[in-house]
Amino acid sequence: MSVLVQPLTEVNPLQDSLRFARRVPPCAIVIFGASGDLSKRKLLPSLYRLFYERRISQNFAVIGSSRTPMSDDQFRERMKESVSKFLEDAPFDEDIWKSFAQCLFYVPGDLSEEASYDKLRDKLDAVEKSHQTGGNVLFYLSTQPSYYAEAIKKLGAHNLQKGNGWRRVIIEKPFGHDLASARKLNEEIHQVLDESDVYRIDHYLGKETVQNILAFRFGNGIFEPLWNRRYVDNVQITAAESIGVEGRGGYYQEAGALRDMIQNHLSQVMATVAMEPPTVFDAANVRDERAKLLRAVRVVKPDDVAKYAVGGQYGPANVGGQNLLGFRQEPSVTADAQTDTYAAVTFFIDNWRWADVPFYIRTGKRMPKRVTDIAIQFHAPPLGLFSQETKGGLREARPNLLVLRIQPEEGISLRFLSKSPGSGMRVRPVSMDFNYGSSFGERTPTAYETLLVDAMAGDATLYTRQDMVDASWQIVQPILDVWGNTKFNFPNYAAGTWGPQASDEMLARQGHVWRVP
Amino acid sequence: MSSAIIFPAQPEQILKGLGKLWTSLGEEEKHQGRPTVLRACAMTLIVATDEPDAGFAASQTISELMHEHPARGIVLAVSKDAENDLQARVLAQCWKPFGKAQQICCEQIEITARPGSWQNAAPTLAGLTAADLPVIFWCRHKGALQKDGSPGDKAALEAISKLATKLVIDTNGMVASDAIELLTKWQGEGKLVADLEWTRLTPWREPLAHLFDNPARENKFANFNYVEVEHREEKPPMQALYLAGWLSAPNKAKVAFKRASGYGSGIQRVSLRSDIEAIEFERTSPDCVTLWSSSGRERKYTFSQPSITALMTEELSVAGFDPAFTAALAQARELSA
Repeated sequence: MSVLVQPLTEVNPLQDSLRFARRVPPCAIVIFGASGDLSKRKLLPSLYRLFYERRISQNFAVIGSSRTPMSDDQFRERMKESVSKFLEDAPFDEDIWKSFAQCLFYVPGDLSEEASYDKLRDKLDAVEKSHQTGGNVLFYLSTQPSYYAEAIKKLGAHNLQKGNGWRRVIIEKPFGHDLASARKLNEEIHQVLDESDVYRIDHYLGKETVQNILAFRFGNGIFEPLWNRRYVDNVQITAAESIGVEGRGGYYQEAGALRDMIQNHLSQVMATVAMEPPTVFDAANVRDERAKLLRAVRVVKPDDVAKYAVGGQYGPANVGGQNLLGFRQEPSVTADAQTDTYAAVTFFIDNWRWADVPFYIRTGKRMPKRVTDIAIQFHAPPLGLFSQETKGGLREARPNLLVLRIQPEEGISLRFLSKSPGSGMRVRPVSMDFNYGSSFGERTPTAYETLLVDAMAGDATLYTRQDMVDASWQIVQPILDVWGNTKFNFPNYAAGTWGPQASDEMLARQGHVWRVP
Repeated sequence: MSSAIIFPAQPEQILKGLGKLWTSLGEEEKHQGRPTVLRACAMTLIVATDEPDAGFAASQTISELMHEHPARGIVLAVSKDAENDLQARVLAQCWKPFGKAQQICCEQIEITARPGSWQNAAPTLAGLTAADLPVIFWCRHKGALQKDGSPGDKAALEAISKLATKLVIDTNGMVASDAIELLTKWQGEGKLVADLEWTRLTPWREPLAHLFDNPARENKFANFNYVEVEHREEKPPMQALYLAGWLSAPNKAKVAFKRASGYGSGIQRVSLRSDIEAIEFERTSPDCVTLWSSSGRERKYTFSQPSITALMTEELSVAGFDPAFTAALAQARELSA
């Protein structure tokens, strides 16, 4: 989001913003949990890619830290293996790696030990001089969530939250396990850091197509006038996965679909779709509007949870000749697990724009295909003048549908009625399609590339703020509370289907049906 | 998929040919019962060429450009072997993105003209540009770009350039003073112009610019008062003039050019000097450039001569006025004087 670049203090007369990549200031990145999966699979490959594309400053360094004892060279060797293995859609170049490796350092240490932070400070001082990082430091907490509070407290105790330049901290999700734990974590963070220095990452917001929602809504004049209760009948947000828990059964049993997807990613997507236009396109204003929207979401009463939320869990099935396990048969999952592998919720946004328009959000594992999209269903015209060709011979009730596809076929399509060729006035729905990948053939940066550059540039637009996290926990907490005290008759949907029947019934009560993405 | 020859090359007939082409592509959809073809167009790209391959290379490049810049492509191939004064055929350039079921298709029109007739092509082209979208004219007709080109070629170039939102040429191999004169004339007429010789410099310019992004850098760019550019050619080519112009303009730095041996053609090394520091950016192997400073820092970058497709891809991304190029051209004019 180049429009949001914080201006560097001095003007470089050689800059050419038409042709050069976005400017990122010098800095050191400290990765806590550097030997973990996220570092190996996402962070280091993204940083290498940014380096390869010359998108990060020449004055840059990465300091990895974890309990594993390693020298700088051993860390470089390990990261080389990971980067060459997990680099997506990009070449690995030995010469470039050599230059990149000169920027990699390692400090072994335990987050709970004071000495680790002293060693870290020494290393930061050294790279500030050798790599001219200007004292800017971005800390990345890629550790177990239970370490977040302690790590930040110790950064404060060792005065590492201050320095010659800026200091920022990126925190991975989950931000708490529920509303109370999220609030406690935020309190602990704020004892050390100002909110403006906290970057809570939600990689969904870093996806190009999610960012494109903002461009689509606020860069065009023709859709925004229709973007309200007068024209929109309902909104459906779907995030379906065809895979199961893939060896993460133990973790997933504790989390569940509502917590893992709806509380964070999908509520942020809903906020992006439904928020008011910001007065200025900058981080503070965009996040203000997202937070305002989330605060306007009606908090469901415990007695109404069954009416507006449906949990599900997949059972075994044979799909395409392959026998798939049910969730309870997955490794590390207990035989009577009550975990929701599917969740569907009806939200209402109590503001003037969206009053009484249902926002249906569903997410699930082991669904027929992997797809994430947002469908804006517009009202039907007041009079049905034309008969329509449909498979069942029925009139299409609401022909106008705008679909914002997040993955995998990123793009936008608009369905409308058109006259069928020939005599007579017969109409049929046709689709006008914009395909993001084919219209902009350039390689799309990964969400982590986008978000890392944003954090280095001080652009927090795509990061979640404390009040946004708080508001999104508030809207799911009553559902979590009721589900936590309910004994479900799971499994209630077979692998390879679109979820439990109760979910269809939830929409039917409002006179709607789930679309098939 | 392409049409039969359309002669004479009347816009109406050509557009009708395009219509038939899309109808036949749509037939496939009817059989398969789902959308199989996506029509894409973001501009009209006209390429005029006098290359002996009758436009084959230009067509090939257009088909590659379509992936990032879908366009109505029009290749105007000027050849003495052309069958008719002006004739056309239409075709669809289609490709299927990896893993996708739907083909993306752009329309292409190939017009062949005899050398004496291509000045009559402008009215045909005027009827073929896609409505409400920019028109880019890429002139690969070397004869028309020469200072001593024939009046017919000059007239044709002039007429077609009037249709264009932006003119693109490649001054590689041209006499620098002629190239500067031509570009300056077009700029004076208010046209947006681009030179692929400038585009070739992006891999040189970007790392140099980034060097001065760091506010903590003690030796500021304003302190650099000497620029030296080494090149393979006998006289400084346009590339060298542009690079020296771009680097010297902000500080009115002293400029020197040197002929040097090295790898491939074009620029081999650029040096920036201040009283206390020297920065060198040089080709250190056929596929590597190294940026180093006398203060001790060094960084290597991969280097390959960008393909014509890559250059045009970058140039088509710059839709409006290009201030850096404009300033460099003005300075190059002074340096060549």
